Amino acid sequence: MAPRTLRHAATPGTVGAALLCAFLIQGCSPYETRHQNQWNSRDQIWLSESSQLKVRAAQTRAFDTTDRRRMFEAIISTMQDLDFSVELLDEELGIISGKKFIEAEESQGTDPTYLLYRPDTLLLLTRNIHAWGPFQHRSNLVRFTATIRTRGASQLIVRTSAQFYLQAVEDPGPYQQFFRSLEQALFLQGRSVE
Amino acid sequence: MTDKRCIIGGVVLLVGSLLLHGCSTPETPKDLLAPTDAQLKIRSMQTRTFDVTDRNAAIRGVIASLQDLGFIIERANEPLGLVTAARFAEPNYYDVISITVTVRQDTKSRLTIRANAIYNNKPIDDPKVYQNFFASLERSLFLTKG
Amino acid sequence: MIRIAVCLASLAMLTGCVTHTEPAELLQLTAETPKHRAMQTRFFETPNEKELLSASAAVLQDLGFQVEESVHEVGFLRATKERSAREYGQYIQRGLLLILSLGKLLNPVDLHQKIAAGLITRPLNQAATKQEVRIVFYRIVWKSDGQVDRQYIPPGQQYMEMIRDPEIYQQFFAKLSKAVFLEAHTI
Repeated sequence: MAPRTLRHAATPGTVGAALLCAFLIQGCSPYETRHQNQWNSRDQIWLSESSQLKVRAAQTRAFDTTDRRRMFEAIISTMQDLDFSVELLDEELGIISGKKFIEAEESQGTDPTYLLYRPDTLLLLTRNIHAWGPFQHRSNLVRFTATIRTRGASQLIVRTSAQFYLQAVEDPGPYQQFFRSLEQALFLQGRSVE
Repeated sequence: MTDKRCIIGGVVLLVGSLLLHGCSTPETPKDLLAPTDAQLKIRSMQTRTFDVTDRNAAIRGVIASLQDLGFIIERANEPLGLVTAARFAEPNYYDVISITVTVRQDTKSRLTIRANAIYNNKPIDDPKVYQNFFASLERSLFLTKG
Repeated sequence: MIRIAVCLASLAMLTGCVTHTEPAELLQLTAETPKHRAMQTRFFETPNEKELLSASAAVLQDLGFQVEESVHEVGFLRATKERSAREYGQYIQRGLLLILSLGKLLNPVDLHQKIAAGLITRPLNQAATKQEVRIVFYRIVWKSDGQVDRQYIPPGQQYMEMIRDPEIYQQFFAKLSKAVFLEAHTI
């Protein structure tokens, strides 16, 4: 008798419902649910949001000047105005990179140690303490990179990219604001790059 | 009455003294910054000299061989000839090996390469580890000759 | 009976095999090293190493990476991007395990990943007219929290994965090749 009822029970509908239950029953923590979900996390390696024309246009500007040093200084001072801490500065290659923490939402208690967290070293190896502290506040981290390249004999191309909360910043707005401040610092008008 | 107070007082004193005892910091060992015997023994294992003139090429060779070995390069400093890298002791992701390599030019035609490997927080004193590392390094240094 | 089987199965899956690799082994080249090196390396006929480095930084920026470390004197560049590592499949698996183990086993899932690219350029000959570019993609993944019976597994468990997919390297070098107007030769 039992096998027959089981066979009846195992219809696609019930199996689907069981899977859905399996999914929902877990109850994600609020922190978890804020991360984007996907089928294959390795796809992120190749994903590049800047393929969208709108964002790409906003991220890049051409300036009619060849003074690299002045451009560097202007970008650094603009970043400082935005409270970025400049971490990487390579004048020869034309790369400037920095990060900052913003208070986008109310904090759940301050943890000063996480600001010192350097994830590029293979963790401050606390083997027995899986310190979740640093990750909890990843929502506040903004990373910003600017590259400067010469184009032709008379122009410098500045390309910016920003990352916030585990995603590239795809909205053209922030980039436009950055370039507005940069133009003021330079007393030069930036042109869009085709 | 006084007996009880005595006992309570005695207990408080006892507990207090125990707690206080825990608060004293340990004495700084005299040889905190002195090399240990074990360290002196392995120093010769950790160092090799190469008849190479180009220090910059040697540093790049060190980075290339570390990449071959699956290490993540953390820091590279040209003026000081320093490369720092680390990797997990796969398949176990709890243990980490970190390695610091320095490249120093002794004379115009000779340079010294020293590698310090650390397993979690203990320096590695197994000579085979350094032999293996220098074997892979040699492969990488002389791969691009000519 | 079933419970024991589930227990054993879940234990095996959770703890994995905590094998201990000798440090000496970890500093040895393996048989696959030449294959990986070939996949990760290309050479370009140019004396201009800085141009290659700067173009690589631009290509990585296009892919959403943020440059973290740059030491042009030794031709070293490291760029990273942090993204979500959640996967639907892992949640389905976790839910099924939860049901099968009758509520005793809650597997940690991947949560946060840091994808990194370490790039190095080297001159291939004395005259420095040929430059070798080698890039290694890897990712570090941090897991969420979990529960095994009464034991709480705190979040933050990590594992690292070297990316061994040849297509990614091919596409990177295709982009770099286009950016410098030079052909990328395999070694």
